[in-house]
Amino acid sequence: MQNMQKLQSIAQFILDEAVRLGADTAQCSVMETRTLEFNVDGGAFSLLRTLFDRYVSVTVLRAHRQGSVTVNRFDEDAVRAAVADCLAAADGAEPDEAREYAPGPVERDFTLGTPEPDREALFARTREFMGDAAARHPKLLMEQLITYHHRTQKVYMNTNGVTYRTLSGSYELGMTYSAHDGEESTAMYGGSLTTRTLDRPFIDCALIDREMGEVEAQLGATPLTGKFTGTAVFAPQCLAGDVFAQALSNFASDTALLEGTSPWRDSLGKPVADERVTLALAPNDDRLVSFQRYTGEGYPAEDCHILKNGVLESFWLTQYGANRTGFTRAGNTSLSMIVEPGDAPLADIIAGIERGVYLMRFSGGQPAASGEFSGVAKNGFLIENGRLTRPLTETMISGNLADMLRNVRAVSRETLSDGDVVMPYMAFDGVTVSGK
Amino acid sequence: MLNDILTGQKALFPPDAHTELRGQVNRTRRVMLLNGSLITNTRSDVSGVSARVFKNGVYGFSSMAEYSEDAARAVLTAASENAAFMDAHAGNGAAPLPPVGGGVRTLERDITDAAQRAYIDFARAVDERVAARCPHITARRVVVYEDSMEKLLRVSEGCDAHAIYPRCYCYVFLTAETPQGAPVELFTVVGGSGVFGDNFADPAAMDAKLDELYEHICQKREGVYADAGERTVVLGGSMTGMLSHEAVGHTVEADLVLGGSVAAHRLHKRVASDLVTMTDFAHTAFGAPTPLPVFVDDEGTPAVDVPLIENGVLTGYMNSRDTARRFGMTPGGNARAWLFSDEPLIRMRNTAIHPGTSRLEDLIASVDDGYYLVSSGNGQADTTGEFMFGVTMGYEIKNGKLGRALLDTTVSGVAFEMLKTVDMVSDEIVWASSGFCGKKQPMPVGMGGPALRCRLMIGGR
Repeated sequence: MQNMQKLQSIAQFILDEAVRLGADTAQCSVMETRTLEFNVDGGAFSLLRTLFDRYVSVTVLRAHRQGSVTVNRFDEDAVRAAVADCLAAADGAEPDEAREYAPGPVERDFTLGTPEPDREALFARTREFMGDAAARHPKLLMEQLITYHHRTQKVYMNTNGVTYRTLSGSYELGMTYSAHDGEESTAMYGGSLTTRTLDRPFIDCALIDREMGEVEAQLGATPLTGKFTGTAVFAPQCLAGDVFAQALSNFASDTALLEGTSPWRDSLGKPVADERVTLALAPNDDRLVSFQRYTGEGYPAEDCHILKNGVLESFWLTQYGANRTGFTRAGNTSLSMIVEPGDAPLADIIAGIERGVYLMRFSGGQPAASGEFSGVAKNGFLIENGRLTRPLTETMISGNLADMLRNVRAVSRETLSDGDVVMPYMAFDGVTVSGK
Repeated sequence: MLNDILTGQKALFPPDAHTELRGQVNRTRRVMLLNGSLITNTRSDVSGVSARVFKNGVYGFSSMAEYSEDAARAVLTAASENAAFMDAHAGNGAAPLPPVGGGVRTLERDITDAAQRAYIDFARAVDERVAARCPHITARRVVVYEDSMEKLLRVSEGCDAHAIYPRCYCYVFLTAETPQGAPVELFTVVGGSGVFGDNFADPAAMDAKLDELYEHICQKREGVYADAGERTVVLGGSMTGMLSHEAVGHTVEADLVLGGSVAAHRLHKRVASDLVTMTDFAHTAFGAPTPLPVFVDDEGTPAVDVPLIENGVLTGYMNSRDTARRFGMTPGGNARAWLFSDEPLIRMRNTAIHPGTSRLEDLIASVDDGYYLVSSGNGQADTTGEFMFGVTMGYEIKNGKLGRALLDTTVSGVAFEMLKTVDMVSDEIVWASSGFCGKKQPMPVGMGGPALRCRLMIGGR
């Protein structure tokens, strides 16, 4: 509590200094973080890190001109210099009346997740996980495994009277691995997990065990020959990052709307996806370990739908983007995505597919503004006559992301729940699949 | 500039371990104009100190966001305790790190920190030139970006060093529409090593690049989809640079070799045609400074060139001191960290395939039916060497002549298979250095290469 008061007094000093130097409005975040991190490289423990960080970010408006500065020092000289630098940056900017920060008065305290780490327990779970993975999946080689606890203590304030105090902490796991048999190996795969507690073995969380088994089954992958139009089944992690996060960025973000490139720009309130597609951004949902409780402009983060039964309910806009475009600000600006599951088991979905691919990862960069994409289907299998017939390498898929969301064939009953997203498997028709 | 408050702390280094103590400042300046509106205007200064201790085969590390003698002592203590924890719980009793030789490298230059107004005014001037010179576009974006790392390193054995690594770029992104109304995008980037004042004096110096970019996007808006499948292609030099870095370079980083990369089984074997030679250059290549020179790495190892492929045969890996010990190799100065709070990882410096003897025109003239792939927006590869690059600008080649431009597409392949199909190499190298390599931490890297004729998979409709 004493430390929170220290952070708040620094934040108040920054706002006072900004006003003294001529800012019309200002906002700032003052934050201290501590990280405890174990690293495993090439299958063996290699490193323990403890990090003690701090950040100050200041944004000011003077005559509708905005400047932002970030430093990682709390001493008075550095903070004064940062505020002065920020005003100077604003003076160099052009006026933009669309800039604004949340109105007050608002004062809230948040204690989220598990703020204090248990070093011995995290080490024990990490060592247990290496043992579990080796026992259940002996052909896997863990290229890198990182487990860590991250604690954040943060004060946000603006000159409109908004104050948020947050104390948060969570455990996270990130890893890359591949399967090996002699000189043969699979493509590498990455898994992740965010959790409040260490009450379950890591291998039993999310889809970690299942995904490891699927990667082992990819040994002996061969290239596809020829080209066909078929069905692509996206596994949940791939669906989250390469379909829905990309759709938000390309079709619903500030940049996409300000540039006028979004194919959804005239579709608010209209169907843009299959009616089985419902996408919520829900940082307050208990299934997620998300700590966004307010946006970068100081507005309370409210769970919202972007797509509901295929209809575009909201763009993914900040207040600035909303002011510039005339649309409404999104409830929050997180990527805490929850996609509603369907009724069908994944096995039944695959059983109904005549020809297609199942992919756990897509290597293709960002789609074009229009949604056109092409890239490599990684960690995948060929689907023929309702069965996964063989693992694939050197196989590309291409299509249009906006079209794909209208061409949903099925949504699975099973979901991935890894603390960051809740996401089903989803099958899309009309995808071009090409090989050698 | 960082004052040396670290040398005096050497007396506190633990006697039976290898220790690194590093003070660091990262400065970032970024300005972005979207259709003339300033939507990003930020400055960031991040500084602190970190220590890393190696004992019995495991590391302890600690960092603190404060550059002071007290903080230096605190991170030395914490890193030693972390190393002791790891040694007690997971130590493997490995031998100490072999010595790399001592010495001191002092700071050669300080940097001039430009006022934010200078970046904004330059971006504004470039934006006005874009608006005037590029009439048939639907959106434009101008970004001026600068970052620098200043590092003061003190090690228990090796080379003590004080260095600054600045770089600054101006990016211009254009969007236009196809006759069907679909957006197409293209960008160009100008700049390199050095601060803003070293790189950008006169906005008019951008004109030739802007005209070339506009010509290319006008061609691209009339472009066609590539015909998906395996094709003969001419990879432009910037694409070859991406290939060197993503598809080959990562597989020969020794930590990824230990993690199971394809290169684990290929050392001293043929992985490419005779025409392919590739090196990770430290600070000088082909008689000139590299785009991002490195003289000493963050483990105190003097940086030297690391040969990777010689005439088609895989000859080496890039190493840290620890992996070099494990492989019985000599470290070449590849261990680098992005922030003060980051531990050194094996990173490429300036990775390039060497130029050959053919002319680019002859490569294109030799293709009956294929593609000339000029520039890439992004690339990914995994440890099997299977790679993917987005192609943002390319052309059909029909009967040895360039044809229609291509819409965005993707190429892919398996590096050590695809490099065996290289049968012509151009005589000019193209370098790039504006991007970040991502591997736990970001890191500025240089990459380069000549044009190559080869077989690749191309995506399309």
